[in-house]
Amino acid sequence: MSLSSASFLIFLVSTVALYFLVPKKLQWMVLLAASYFYYLSYGVKIVGFLLTTTFTTYVGGLLLGELNSRRKIRVKQLGREASSEEKKAVSDRFTGNKKWVVAGILLINFGILAAIKYYNFAAENTNVLLGLFTDASFPKVNWLLPVGLSFYTFQSAGYVIDVYRAKYPPERNFFKFALFVSFFPQIIQGPISRFDQLAHQLYESHAFSFDRLKYGLQLMMWGFFKKLVVADRTAVIVSNVFGNYQKYSGAEIAFGVFMYCIQIYCDFSGGIDIIRGIAQILGIDMIENFQRPYFATSLSDFWRRWHISLGAWMRDYLFYPLSLSKPFGKLGKYARKKLKGNLGKILPVSLVTFIVFFTIGIWHGASWKYIAFGIWNGGIITFSVINAPVYEKALKRLHINPESTCWKLFQILRTTVLVFIGRYFTRGEDLMTALRMLKRTVLHFDLRNLAGNVLSLGLGAFDLLVILVCCTVILGIGYLKERGVHIRKTLEERNMLVQWLVLLAGLAVIAFLGIYREGYIASEFIYKQF
Amino acid sequence: METHMEELLRILKELRPDIDFNEKKALIDDGVLDSFDIVALVGEIGETFDVQIGVEGLVPENFNTVQAILGLINRLRDGE
Repeated sequence: MSLSSASFLIFLVSTVALYFLVPKKLQWMVLLAASYFYYLSYGVKIVGFLLTTTFTTYVGGLLLGELNSRRKIRVKQLGREASSEEKKAVSDRFTGNKKWVVAGILLINFGILAAIKYYNFAAENTNVLLGLFTDASFPKVNWLLPVGLSFYTFQSAGYVIDVYRAKYPPERNFFKFALFVSFFPQIIQGPISRFDQLAHQLYESHAFSFDRLKYGLQLMMWGFFKKLVVADRTAVIVSNVFGNYQKYSGAEIAFGVFMYCIQIYCDFSGGIDIIRGIAQILGIDMIENFQRPYFATSLSDFWRRWHISLGAWMRDYLFYPLSLSKPFGKLGKYARKKLKGNLGKILPVSLVTFIVFFTIGIWHGASWKYIAFGIWNGGIITFSVINAPVYEKALKRLHINPESTCWKLFQILRTTVLVFIGRYFTRGEDLMTALRMLKRTVLHFDLRNLAGNVLSLGLGAFDLLVILVCCTVILGIGYLKERGVHIRKTLEERNMLVQWLVLLAGLAVIAFLGIYREGYIASEFIYKQF
Repeated sequence: METHMEELLRILKELRPDIDFNEKKALIDDGVLDSFDIVALVGEIGETFDVQIGVEGLVPENFNTVQAILGLINRLRDGE
């Protein structure tokens, strides 16, 4: 049941109606039932995976919470007179046990994820190596792929780690916890929420609010606009160019990749807008997942604005633990001693940055192209971190003001090109295809070819014009938001006639310009597969 | 001899000479210190004050102000 299908809209209206009709203390149960109903619509067998993750992380949370409480009591029993060494010895004993629990739970859950997503890739490549010496090989397994697997696994793992760190006590009610893991608008494609930000909102009662309904619907409409009018329109050119790249010149391929940049942004952020809009109607504020990434001034800035919840997850649960770990601490000391200057100071942290971006790359899937994508992002960001002082000096010598608009525009353009190159890898059929397309773009770039053939790439002049106008609107609104304008509140300050006109115009655009297939089902969201 | 506060301010000043740390009240929430700064700061604090800040201590409340950072250091020195 895709977010942009007619059946989903019927399901949503029924859920919202029931949610506000039942006694308030039952609201969270309605959400839980709706969430499982929604998940079951993707298949009955996959629910087993969701339940396994829910159960193991729930039990893990309880065990860790218990160890945290016992540690606190034991430290208290020592009294004020106890030395810090004594207190530390008690803490360390409990930390050791906690580490076993958290490692076990994470191993189970990331083990499932790894088996389903990466086993076949690992087996295939190991078999190539084995083939050099023996006939033995690892068999290919046709796993069921539970939708939203990466999203709910990361969200639940974050909860377990937070309880391990005693950031908050564990949730004791299994069914309430199950709702946190499975909350229906977000389970398929995020955002990857944090327990302390989301869970209490799911369990609290919410009165119906007309304002929330209005804001939520507006946000959903904005999402549908991006998805149905822009993303699914650009998809036509994208599929054509990526599917038949041998037929096209470098400029046409570049145009197709550029269209993919638009598609992936409008598809993913559009989906997130719909999800956040639904939650808003239900009285729940979900975290932002995008902050106008097309205005990013560097690749690292881009990743702070794109899929924010994944970046924040990686920062809190991978970057910090690795950076502050003993091996990296030792490496840091060694590097500071042996290497002079900036490199010595930031070598370990740069290495961790590379690992993080590499992980983000393979988070997307098991394929050499995603590994290349990770290396591309990690490599560039690490390189720029190490060379930051060189850039600063160069700017000073060239008398360039880093705060000037021209320089900022140059930075945005530079970032767009870097992101654009990365997209060859994420959308290309495989690594070799991506590299061949990239080679063709560079070696056979002919703008005249594009000018002559732009209308034969799958879309006519009208559709291209629609994309151009819509992108201008998205950029314009993004620019206003960058300047701190709250669009929906600004609209509210206008008179009712203007408000209704904007609403109706939006609906009309979605209804008449959206790309629909038979049965009014739009295409699936791209990030669902991750 | 430097007080703990002076030592901390010296570390912060070396890390980010462009910031007036006495003024800022939301070093993390306002994005003044990024994750690289935090890792460097934790390393320096560890060496100077002989404490180990674990990842569980890396929450915005502990790093938003100089006073909060000092509070964290004192709690760790106290063995909490």
